[in-house]
Amino acid sequence: MIFPRTRQILAGLCLSLLLLTTACAPEEPSRWDQVQQETTQKQPAAQTKTTTAATKPVSGDQFNKFFPQPGGGYERVYTQEKAGFAEAKLKQGGKDVAMLAISDTASNPSAAAKYQQSSKTIAGYPAVETGTTATSVLVSDRYQVKVLSRDPGFTKSDREAWLQKFDLDGLKNLPNTAQKS
Amino acid sequence: MSQAKPIFELVDQLPTNNMTVYALKALDFVVPGQWQNLVGFDNTIRTITGETDEGVIQQVGERAIQLYNDPSQGYQRAMWLYQTVNSAGGALGAAALANKISERVSFLSFLDRVTPKADKAQTIDLSLKLVTELVAFCQINGIPGDSIGDFVASLGDYSGESLMRMAALVCFDGLIPLGPDFILKTQSALSQLNPGDLTQHPVFKQIGGLIPGGNPAGQLGFINESFASTQGWMSNFVTSRNLTPDTVVSHLQNFIEISNDKLDYLGAFLDMTTNYYEHTGVQTLARRLIERAVAEI
Repeated sequence: MIFPRTRQILAGLCLSLLLLTTACAPEEPSRWDQVQQETTQKQPAAQTKTTTAATKPVSGDQFNKFFPQPGGGYERVYTQEKAGFAEAKLKQGGKDVAMLAISDTASNPSAAAKYQQSSKTIAGYPAVETGTTATSVLVSDRYQVKVLSRDPGFTKSDREAWLQKFDLDGLKNLPNTAQKS
Repeated sequence: MSQAKPIFELVDQLPTNNMTVYALKALDFVVPGQWQNLVGFDNTIRTITGETDEGVIQQVGERAIQLYNDPSQGYQRAMWLYQTVNSAGGALGAAALANKISERVSFLSFLDRVTPKADKAQTIDLSLKLVTELVAFCQINGIPGDSIGDFVASLGDYSGESLMRMAALVCFDGLIPLGPDFILKTQSALSQLNPGDLTQHPVFKQIGGLIPGGNPAGQLGFINESFASTQGWMSNFVTSRNLTPDTVVSHLQNFIEISNDKLDYLGAFLDMTTNYYEHTGVQTLARRLIERAVAEI
């Protein structure tokens, strides 16, 4: 049994606790706040950078020659070329139908980790579906080659077909010198 | 360069109905259907990637934020360029104006605070905005900062908010303040410019450090070369779309009451009341970051 006085005290305690915690709670945290904080706080440079200190990513221009050739009504337009990354648009009849990309997972190791669970292969390389618009393979446990649909008419089987048009074996043989920092 | 707002905030806070948005919507006739005012970081990820899976959207957003916050990637420099080249316009009370834009804005009521720029200042403005586009393009896409050739080639592939930015550049900074022969006028003004004129210009004072060329004389050469290389694209843009100051003004009249004897002031008015460069620049950056992020995760 609880005495009336104890109840009063308890209620008062609860109320002040509630006020305190709500007053201290940050207002509506955004789903992006954490990563923003992690990537901007003053810490050793290696931690705020998108690349790890251990392995330097291959420069993006080295990837260009492994992209599929345009033709057959398709146009290829290179859009970005950064350290460890190259990307091109695939256009058909002036319309963007897909994006083609090669990235070096040295800059983003978690991207390579997802292939460990993969039971599927394309052209002999471990393959993964991400969301509903992306199919990718991992070459040499390191280079991620990805095709992303940008038009509903560009289907999963189109993505798989275009992945095979990359020079995946050429990418596999990227000179070892380029793979070390 | 200051550590500015997070990229997701910049995209979340893009306005949906201010003067800039109305002015850009009025230019839809120039590049029909190319520009929708895409705002909100989550929304932009969904629209660009076509993904609905929340887990994927979270990963894409986090990677995009990481990339933006890595100063070695150049995305922040591009943003700073877009913001800076825009901030030199003017400081007409934006808040005061914001109250008025839900109605049609009466142009005459602002005339006492608006002064047209001299042609010379206007031509430097135009060419600096063009060079900014080039330098920002190189920062975002990762090619060396002096790749005029790559830039000119990719202008042909410009679409969406990037094409709208160029349309606004041609209309609001070329045709309206300088008239139908704005290309010739700018070219001739540039040829008479000396490095000293350039270093006096408030925008150049800020962004000069990022313009290739080594010193003001070399930078002036680079600006001349950039303008010469893009003038073919601009003149084709104007002729293929039959653009004249009159056609642009008549579309602007749908949301601003402009009396025809005050057109001299319209360029200055737009300069002071809109920030189309920054607005579409945020949208371009968000798109590039998201496209890279979704390919990398």
